[in-house]
Amino acid sequence: MAIVAQSSKFSTFGRPVLAWGVGLLFFFPIFWMVLTSFKTDADAVKPEHLIFFKPTLENYLNMTENYDYWRFARNSIITAVSATVFTLFVSVPAAYAMAFNPTRRTKDVLMWMLSTKMLPAAAVLYPMIFLAKGIGLYDTHILVITVLSLINLPIAIWMLFTYFKEIPKDIIEAGKMDGVNTWGEIKEILVPLAWGGIASTALLIFIFCWNEAYWTVRLTTIDAATLSKLIEGNRAPEGLFFGRLSAVSTAAVGPIVVLGWFCQKQLVQGLTFGAVK
Amino acid sequence: MSDRKLPRLLQTPAVVLLLVWMLVPLGMTLYFSFIRYVLNNLRHPEWTSPSVSNWRGFGNYEFVLKSKDFLLAIQNSLFIVCSILFLTVILGILIAVLINKSFPGQGIVRVLLISPFFVMPAVNAVLWINMILDPVLGLQGIAVAGINDTLDGLRHLPVLGSFFSLWPEFEPISFRATQTSAIAVIMMVTWQWTPFAVLIFMTSLQSEDQQQKEAAVLDGAGTWSQFRFLTLPHLGRPIAIVVMIQAIFHLSLYAEIEIVSRGNGNKNLPYLIGEFANNNIGAASATGIFAVILANIVAIFLLRMVGKTLME
Repeated sequence: MAIVAQSSKFSTFGRPVLAWGVGLLFFFPIFWMVLTSFKTDADAVKPEHLIFFKPTLENYLNMTENYDYWRFARNSIITAVSATVFTLFVSVPAAYAMAFNPTRRTKDVLMWMLSTKMLPAAAVLYPMIFLAKGIGLYDTHILVITVLSLINLPIAIWMLFTYFKEIPKDIIEAGKMDGVNTWGEIKEILVPLAWGGIASTALLIFIFCWNEAYWTVRLTTIDAATLSKLIEGNRAPEGLFFGRLSAVSTAAVGPIVVLGWFCQKQLVQGLTFGAVK
Repeated sequence: MSDRKLPRLLQTPAVVLLLVWMLVPLGMTLYFSFIRYVLNNLRHPEWTSPSVSNWRGFGNYEFVLKSKDFLLAIQNSLFIVCSILFLTVILGILIAVLINKSFPGQGIVRVLLISPFFVMPAVNAVLWINMILDPVLGLQGIAVAGINDTLDGLRHLPVLGSFFSLWPEFEPISFRATQTSAIAVIMMVTWQWTPFAVLIFMTSLQSEDQQQKEAAVLDGAGTWSQFRFLTLPHLGRPIAIVVMIQAIFHLSLYAEIEIVSRGNGNKNLPYLIGEFANNNIGAASATGIFAVILANIVAIFLLRMVGKTLME
């Protein structure tokens, strides 16, 4: 029984203290970025203003002037939302078919889809640029949306497949008896039943699209440039602009981090393809 | 419409899109890798557009294999990926075991912990290399300067001063330098992906057989042997999955490497491809094919390990 007593002592004091310490440590860089965003550029690099300073909103108010923030944010919203919608539009029927009418090849098709994620982006970037320039789509929303959809399609199908698999087949069969057609089945029976799964898939795909930094940076110059491009373009301000850089960074990741808090459970199921429960 | 045709029809758009997405650019990369194709060449303007008449055979591959950066890039790719995997798995297990039992504020700690995972890679890199790791203006620089100032003050103490004057001045580390930039990348990516490992291990720990554990306690098993013989085997599958998913993502790291040092002393394969592609698309494509081969070796290895468990 000595062990039990020991571990309960650790549970009352050691565990909470250590756990909070680790949590705060991991959150610290984000906290620091937010804190710095309320400092003037001059204060941000002065050791005496490390913690005590006069907070200012100036960095946020001048975001448009300094970085043209909203133009990039608008592109991020347009491309991420459209890519998410398009991805769902293609992946819901596919996952539906695989989950409810599996054939002998379904497993292989699913594994093959996953394997397309392993194709290194760098290996196929230049043909894509060549093609895009050839048909005049370089630096357009359409191009970014297409690429974002394609790179997230396998993950979306996998996630939805694992959700749909859990739905009893009888319910869908009952719909068939009532003479509902396939589109009706998806719309009237599947979507209401799997609403939670579809929503969290959408959320996760949206986050991935928003954060994507390889294709979006290299397939755009000005017109369709996203927030990733904006931040990467300001990579080395040599300390002169820590305040304003923190503000624009906070504005770029803030909404996504908060969204992420709400879908952390689904994240596990989504990213592990339902293999960890 | 028959019952068998319809499911196939519903899958068709997804399958066709992914097939085109995989085959067309990859086919073109393969083609470019066998021809002379450069963006600028005054003496051979005919090389600036892709054409079969510029056939070079395996010349581009030879060129890439002979370039001194190629082996370094592969080594560095593997070094970065393996270091991140090692750190995230170890840290992930430790933290997951730590916060798995309930304690006051468990929910908040979870939220704090998972947050880094949602930060976009570009912001992650800019934040770490400037605000945290900068040797002068970042927290590192400020901390080192603070320690040196304190030591300086202590040296002037009457008696103890002679002891402290034996201490050296601390030097801040520049993480943009050749030898250290890989470390900076590993640090920032580990920060971002440890939460992911924690989340997955925690989910898995919640399904651990508690009765088995209680029985083990009654049999006199200590905390360590419980962990070693019950918890660790239980985590086998999640560990494999964490390794697989991270390997996919980290083999194509780019933004962090670009932002930290522009690849200075720290090129990985995607970065080397980008450098070749500034002019020599042929060589970039040949390097791309090597990257595909490397990714496939890793993928086959991983899919064997994980594939079966995924389909259960």
